[in-house]
Amino acid sequence: MNVIETAGLGKCYGKSWALRDCTLTVPEGSLAALVGPNGAGKSTLMNMAVGLTLPTAGTATVLGGQVIRSPAALNDIAFMAQDAPVYKSLSVADMLHLTRNLNRRFDADTARARLADLGIPLKKKTGKLSGGQQAQVALTVALARRPRLLILDEPLSALDPLARQDFLATVMTAMADDGVSVLLSSHALAELERVADYLVVLGGGELRLAGAVDDLLAEHRVLTGPAAGTDQFAAQLSAVQVKRAGAQAHLLVRDGGPGRTVPPGWESHPVGLEELVLAYLRPAGGGTPSATAAGSRTELTEVPR
Amino acid sequence: MSGLTRPAQPGRDAGPALRPVPWPRMIWVTWRQHRGVLVSVAAVLAAVSVFLLVAGLKVHHDDTALINCHPANSQACAARNSSFNNADWTMGNTVLILMNLAPALLGAFTGPTVLARELETGTFRYAWTQGIGRVRWTIAKLTLLAVVLTILAGAFSQLFAWFFDPFLGFEGMNVLAATVFDTRGIDFAAWTLVAFAAGAFLGMLTRRIIPAMAATLGAYLGLTLLAWLVLREDYPVALDTTNGNLFSGQNTPNSPWILKTWTVGNTDWWRFIPVSRFWPMQFIESGWLLLLAIALGAGTVWLVRRRAA
Amino acid sequence: MTIDKQNSPIEFRLDPSSGVPTYLQLVQQVEHALRLGYLQPGDQLPKVRDVVAALTINPNTVLKAYKELETKGLAAGRPGQGTFVQATLSQVTLPELSGLRRSMLGWLSSAEEAGLDEDGIVALFTSVMREFFKSRGAAAGQSGDGETEGVA
Repeated sequence: MNVIETAGLGKCYGKSWALRDCTLTVPEGSLAALVGPNGAGKSTLMNMAVGLTLPTAGTATVLGGQVIRSPAALNDIAFMAQDAPVYKSLSVADMLHLTRNLNRRFDADTARARLADLGIPLKKKTGKLSGGQQAQVALTVALARRPRLLILDEPLSALDPLARQDFLATVMTAMADDGVSVLLSSHALAELERVADYLVVLGGGELRLAGAVDDLLAEHRVLTGPAAGTDQFAAQLSAVQVKRAGAQAHLLVRDGGPGRTVPPGWESHPVGLEELVLAYLRPAGGGTPSATAAGSRTELTEVPR
Repeated sequence: MSGLTRPAQPGRDAGPALRPVPWPRMIWVTWRQHRGVLVSVAAVLAAVSVFLLVAGLKVHHDDTALINCHPANSQACAARNSSFNNADWTMGNTVLILMNLAPALLGAFTGPTVLARELETGTFRYAWTQGIGRVRWTIAKLTLLAVVLTILAGAFSQLFAWFFDPFLGFEGMNVLAATVFDTRGIDFAAWTLVAFAAGAFLGMLTRRIIPAMAATLGAYLGLTLLAWLVLREDYPVALDTTNGNLFSGQNTPNSPWILKTWTVGNTDWWRFIPVSRFWPMQFIESGWLLLLAIALGAGTVWLVRRRAA
Repeated sequence: MTIDKQNSPIEFRLDPSSGVPTYLQLVQQVEHALRLGYLQPGDQLPKVRDVVAALTINPNTVLKAYKELETKGLAAGRPGQGTFVQATLSQVTLPELSGLRRSMLGWLSSAEEAGLDEDGIVALFTSVMREFFKSRGAAAGQSGDGETEGVA
């Protein structure tokens, strides 16, 4: 089952498209990292997935074809917006009680235990907690609903490194305990590398790349060789990105699968996740690699070394 | 990832038809989120009620003393009369004016807190993604708050009516007078209800608390003037008569309200509303105010449903 | 609900700079523990939940590692209980290990005398080791991607 499925999804504000022609499927049981620079359309995509924004174009469904904002979707999806909105004048205990009253399903015991483990006092007003603690409260009430899908919009950006660790540990533990699927966005990939097993890269309102991390890493590789032979091989091997210096060039190619060969005189290296994401994000104008057509020929781009 | 064993998920509803979150859950939610506002309103009304009680007792006492003052032409009685006309009346008139502003203030203070506050602080991103859904959430909040406010306002206006009774007849005011009519019977409650509904609706339109408050006050003013200057005259309770004797005599609490006069041939006609039509007028006005409040509520829900932030 | 104390004799740790995929590190640590006798058949491997809470990694990664161990026949999952060690790897006894260490030190002295520095020794060792294992098990189930290399 796909927890999120979109087809040609787009959102237009006035004359500019915050997200355009986005077609993707996020599988169940994974932690999908939604990465891209600020303004890439991550929040827009997430807001549409939870029904806070209506699409201008295209369609989207959740949890195996459920309509967004239907009772089934609302019941099984928990959303945590950027800056972890909680009611600042309410105590932590009040937030628990509030969430319990607004939902069919609520596991208060686990929530209280989690908060106790984190050392967050129940009587304190949430507005008086630190940023990291507020985020944990928001996450705890979201998880206490036992959702099947947890959507987190840039949850880590305002947190210090220790708070980030704690936050991710809570999310991971929930995945292990309850099998919840997670969609988590960030403009910093490094912190997600260890936890993401599905990747969605957005840039400039477009979907640049999407797939399981293991598959993407297996399908891509960097070929290093003499600059002279670059054009020939780039065309043959459907290069995603070309970096060229005087005598040497690196080609990032997507030609995964067994039986692929290395051209004589060239070396093959595996590609790291961050390198891969940057390569797909970099070309803004012409030569944008198409994420949906695997192995399509693209224009060459030169990146000054 | 296919083919891997995942931990069992106990306690998860796999039921086909999901029962919606029951309405009574929203009682605690509404109370807890609007506790501050409701308690403030209740406290203010309570404080003013105490004042009305104390002042009202004095006013009633002075009035009775004046009525029972014999002989009516004596210095002492004249002095009483003068005192009542000045001190008591000034105070009474002031309170009357404030009473006319009250529904606007109540509505502006309470209405925007339902939606504009959520939109402004961003907490709607939490509230509208909960299992209960935004429509139920909105309907429940609007209804619960409207009921509480209306009851409080209704009770309060009864106390005020009692307070103001001795002043009926002053400056030609009877119960049908523009500023007095609003403050008695069920009208005050109805105006408060409309002000609240307008506050909530405008809060959803403007998405900001302060602009919503200002807009509510403005809208309320416009609506009140409309009622006073235009609508009330057209309520189907007026009578036409050629009998001029009905209008002789000084202004008393029982004097009818003359709408207009005209002449046909040699006969003078008067259009008027007798005081006895007070309650039919109250029901007519409260009726359309209630409908308006419901329409505003429906409009608010429609905006909530349709508008994505 | 408190986090259960580890029922497993071993605990994982990650080396983020090693370049080895996380799941493979876990597999290797289990194999290492088996060789050194830290794990015996019947012992329980750390619960997925505990690993995830301690290391902040994706539970699917742990599951993948455990599945790999199942495929290799080293471990087996029991539904509702966890994953348990099933077989053992030929253990190298302590005297054997000491013997191997000594012969390695001898070789290292020779390499140093020949003029190799640390990086050179590592490069030589790595390439010879790769050749050695390639010639042994160039077939299925390896983590390589099956490329054939041209002449470098």
